[in-house]
Parts: sequence; structure tokens; C-alpha cells
Amino acid sequence: MKILVVEDEPKVAGALKEGLEEEGYDITVARTGEEGFFHASSHGFDLIILDIMLPGRDGIEILHTLRRQGAKLPVLLLTAKDAIEDRVFGLDAGADDYLIKPFAFPELGARIRALLRRNKAESESALKIGDLEVDPVRRTVVRDGLRLDLTVREFDLLEYLARNHNRVVSREMLARDVWKETARATPLDNVIDVHVARLRKKLDDPFERKLLHTVRGVGFTLNEEGS
Amino acid sequence: MKRFFSKNLRTRLTLFYSALLAGALILYAVCVCAFYLHSLREQVDTSLDRVVEAVEGDLNTASDGRVELTSHEGEADEDEGERGYLLEVLAADGTVLYRSPQLNGQTLGPVSEESAGQGLGEPVSMRLGSGELVRMIMRHHRLPDGRPVIVRLAVSEEPYWREFWEMASILGIGFPIVVIIVFITGYVLAARALSPVDVMAKRAAQITAEHLNERIDLRNSDDELGQLGTAFNATLARLESSFEQLRRFTADASHELRTPLTAIRSVGEVALSKGGHENYYRDTIGSMLEETNRLTKLVDSLLTMSRADAGRVSLQFAPVSLLELAKQSASLLEVLAEEKNQSIRVEGDDAIEVNADRTILRQAFVNLIDNAVKFSPENGIIHIRVLENGPEAVVEVQDNGPGIPVENRGRIFERFYRVDRARARHEGGTGLGLSIVEWAVTVHRGTVEVDCETGPGSIFRVRLPWHTSPALGSAYSASGQPKETN
Repeated sequence: MKILVVEDEPKVAGALKEGLEEEGYDITVARTGEEGFFHASSHGFDLIILDIMLPGRDGIEILHTLRRQGAKLPVLLLTAKDAIEDRVFGLDAGADDYLIKPFAFPELGARIRALLRRNKAESESALKIGDLEVDPVRRTVVRDGLRLDLTVREFDLLEYLARNHNRVVSREMLARDVWKETARATPLDNVIDVHVARLRKKLDDPFERKLLHTVRGVGFTLNEEGS
Repeated sequence: MKRFFSKNLRTRLTLFYSALLAGALILYAVCVCAFYLHSLREQVDTSLDRVVEAVEGDLNTASDGRVELTSHEGEADEDEGERGYLLEVLAADGTVLYRSPQLNGQTLGPVSEESAGQGLGEPVSMRLGSGELVRMIMRHHRLPDGRPVIVRLAVSEEPYWREFWEMASILGIGFPIVVIIVFITGYVLAARALSPVDVMAKRAAQITAEHLNERIDLRNSDDELGQLGTAFNATLARLESSFEQLRRFTADASHELRTPLTAIRSVGEVALSKGGHENYYRDTIGSMLEETNRLTKLVDSLLTMSRADAGRVSLQFAPVSLLELAKQSASLLEVLAEEKNQSIRVEGDDAIEVNADRTILRQAFVNLIDNAVKFSPENGIIHIRVLENGPEAVVEVQDNGPGIPVENRGRIFERFYRVDRARARHEGGTGLGLSIVEWAVTVHRGTVEVDCETGPGSIFRVRLPWHTSPALGSAYSASGQPKETN
């Protein structure tokens, strides 16, 4: 999967390249609007991560031109402006998604995966992580043959973690995708922590092998190895 | 001229009043002159009437058949002539029977009786052949011998016109003098009356952001200028307080931002100089990321507030059941209460609805409940009540915490204000929760207050008017769809 990153801030660009390569993507970085536009219109990328504030040509302008030329590839906007008008403006210009700076890296990864698998039906088959089996259709959880009794919220939380297993999930992602909370200023961190602690009690406490791990400063992850 | 007019208020005022006075004076002078002329003419006419009757009595037929003027004493009366009266006696056929010598043969009007008849009985003004302006009266008369004659008596108008012009010229000379005097005194008076404005303007120009505590001195606060000054001072006071708020906010915000920055910096520096195993580095980075998250949250809240300040938040108004919203907010935070063995009780009438932006109002409720959970002790009970109170809906959130000391109550809605700084830091709040509550309630034209007297703990009371949006009618009844308003 080839991704073009158009970002002028070297540190951010470097971190994006390194982090996304770690996830197995092929990354090209463009530092200016012109360079970005040149790459975007000439090479076959699967996705573009586009900063709005760029020297030379700004992201919105590049996006406009690309869409006018008929480019259909998904575009993820990065913006430091989070006013609703700016978001609407970006989406109107043809962006498929946007992310507000500063963003959490796991969230960027999740958005990219979502954009790349768009139009592909979400698998409804049971999710299996080691001895854990989560069935999203029947909403049941079985671990090591034992059926776990979870509340609705705990199930949603576990399902989300299971879908993103082996990856770190940030609290922002949980707030938005599990709690459906749009306002970033709502104090949900404590709520999320409590739910995670309860889920952990049911999911991991009875078993030797722990699946749900906290990654300090970033979020949570569901994996077999341990962090 | 235009430039001159627009020069300043003082000149304009003076010019305006002078022009008004000049106009009034002119009108007055014209009226006086007209009246004076009229009364002069009346005097002449009365004397003409009187004299003509006297003259008629003095007319006699002389022995040669001509008419002569004799006084009662039997002498030829030259008196009329001396007094400026001109006499002409005509026979019915127009023959001149008598003519004053002063007329020098000029006639007092046309000869034919028909054309002369129009002046019969009433005095008229006319011009003699010599160009002299006279007032003339004409009457039918029968001489003592029975002959019908026409008697014409005239008197020069020149003397009274002279008198009239004399008076008019006195008025005319006095007029510009009066206007000039009025203009000058008016100019001086206007300067004195307007001098406080000048002082105020100079003062206002000196007052900058650094000197907002200065005020304009008011000599007399009851007159219009005093009111202007008072209003100006009030504006200054408001400006000063908002500047003060802004200053404090900036200072507080930098402090709040500096705390996590310091943590990130020192943790990073220490880790780098000390060195260690992978786990130690992981832990260090994790700790730095935690602070970053804190910074992010702070910046998010600040952005929310600043957008709110700029009035750039567009609200989506729709009918909201307050009880349902309160229950929803409570259930979101219920786990936090459960952790402390607290219970949240929501009660009220679910028919109570207001037109509101659900997301924003919910944020207010969540923040209030979050606060209540934080400040209530273990095993406490948090009461949420939705009530109806006349023109407004009331939502009360009551904790059973320690309450808020009186001296802090006024400031708890201020940004970054914390009753207990150390504790707040430990709990991880941003210090903006209640400010956001206040803002969220204010955009719905409601109020929020804290009451620590009524019950145990504090009661945060949100009052919302039923019609929170002026666009209620159209947004609500027409489609039932939320409508964007500002």
C-alpha cells in the first residue's frame, strides 16, 4: 500500500513516515504543496495524507485540483483548525476524512485502515484472538470455553479492541467510536478507564494469560504477547 | 463653504442659531414695517376724510360762476394748500371749477366721470404728472347753489414714506449689529458649553489599555454631557474588567500550559542524562505522552471556549426533554459514581422540554455531574432534579460534598479557578469545566448558580427559559427539524 504524506513540518513528517512504515505501508513524503501535487498526480498512490497549511499551495487547493482531474483515491486531511466550518470546507473540497492536530497516532492508523478498506464489507464473522472469541452478531464472548458475561458497553469496548487487536487504541478513539462522543472537551477519560478496568476484571483476572494491556500515555491494546 | 460648515459642532451650532435669529428678526421687521405703513396710511386717510368734509363746507360759488374756497370767516382759505392739501373741483361734465395753485395745472386723475368714478369715496394712491406720489379722495358734492360737482382732495404721501424709510433704515442698521453680537456671544457660549466634550475627548484619547483605571472627571453628572461622561466611564469600567479578565486568563492559561510542559521537559532531560533499560525509557515516554494528553485536552477546552467567545459556535436547536438528557448524562458517568459507591438519583417530569442544542446542553450536564461525583464522598448520593418553575425549567444537581466556601463562590465559574488547587491537579481536571457549563447555559439564555445554603453539599441550579431561541416558532413547529441558529 503506497501512501503519500504531504506535510511541511519535518518532525511530524518524519514521525508519520517512521510510524506508518512500521505498520507496513510504503511512504513517500512531500514537504511543499507543489511537490505534493506533483507526486499526487503522477504516481499511483493508494491514499494521501494532506496537511492543510502548507507553504506554496495549500492543501485545500491541491485537493480541489486533484478532484477536478478525476483522482478518486482517498484523501485524509490533517488540520490544526477544528472549527466546524473548516471541517465542512475540507470535506466539501473532496476529502474523505480529516484529523485534527494534535492527533493520536493509533487514531491515524485506524482512520487509514478505515479509508483503505472502505467499500469492503466489514467481516461479521467471529473475531478470534488466542483463546478469546468475540461474536459480533450474537454478541457473545467466550474465552477458553468459558462464556463471559459482559454489559452492553463492555461488549462494545471489547469488540472494538478485538477489531483493532495487536494495535494500540487511544482513549479519543474509544470516546468517539464506542461512546459516540463528538465533543472532545467532554471529560470521558475516567469513565473509559473504569470500564476498561471492569472489562479487564472479567476478561483477564480469571486467566493466567493477560490479553488487555494498558500502554502508558497512549491507550490500550488487546494482544497475546503482552506489551 | 461646506468645509466651513462641517468644521466643528461649535461653529455649526452658532451659525445655526444666528441664522435662526436673523430669520426671526427679518420676519419681525417686515411685520413691523407693514403694520407701520398701514397705520400711517390710515392716519392720512382719516385726515383726508376730515379735511374733505371741511373743504366741502367751504366751497362757494363765486360771482363769476367759478368756485372759490372761503373759510367760515369769509376769507379765501389758503390753509389747505399750506398744509400740503391739493384740491380740485370739477363740474359734472369735467370742467375744472377750482384747482389748487400748488397743483400747477396738473389734474388729480382722469377727467371723465366714469373712469374717475372708481375712486369715489375711498382714498386711493396715485402718481401726479410731476411724479409726486399722492393719496387722493374723491366725492360727489352739491354746491350751495345746487350744482353737482366732484371734489377731489389729495395730499402728498412723501412725508409718510420718508417717515417709514427712516424707521426701516433704523431697523436695517440695527439688524446686522444684533446678529453679529448674537453670533459672537453665541460662539463664546457654545465654546463654554462644549468645553467638557473637548476635555472628555482629550482624556479619552489619553486612556490606553494600560490606563483603563482612569476615569473622566464629571463636574455635573445630571446634565446631558454629564450623562455622556457617566456612560463613558461605565464603558471604561466594563472594558477594564474584561481586560483584567483577559489578562488573568492569559496568565492562568500560560501557567496551566507551563505545568505539563515542565513535566515533559524535566522527565525527558532526566531520562536522557541518566540512561537506562528499555522499560525505563518506555515508562519515561509514556509519562511524557500523558502530559501531552493533558496539554491536548487543555488546548481543546481552550479552543472550545475561544470559539464560544467569538460567537462562532452554531447551535442546532431542537426540543430536548431535560429529564431524558439528565438521565443520559448520568448514565454516562454512572460508573464513576459506582467506583465510589455513590448513587445518582434522577427525578422529575419527563414532559419538561426546552428548545436547546442537545450536544452543548449535555456537555453542561455532564460537567456538573462529573463535578458532583468528584466532590461527593464515598457512599454519597447525588440528586438531579428537573423542575418547572414559572417561566423557566430548572435542573438542579446536588452533591453531598463539603460545599463551597462563601468567599470562593463568586469565582468558581471563572476559567481555571479552583477552590483547591492541589486536589484539582490530582483529579486531573482542566479547570474549565464550570466555565464551559456557564457558557453552555448562557447560549441558551439561561443562568447557572450555586447554592450551598439549602441542603447538604452544593446545589448547582441551571435555569433555562422555555423559549431558548428566538427562532423557536419557525424552527420547531414548521418542520420539527433542528434548525441552525446563532
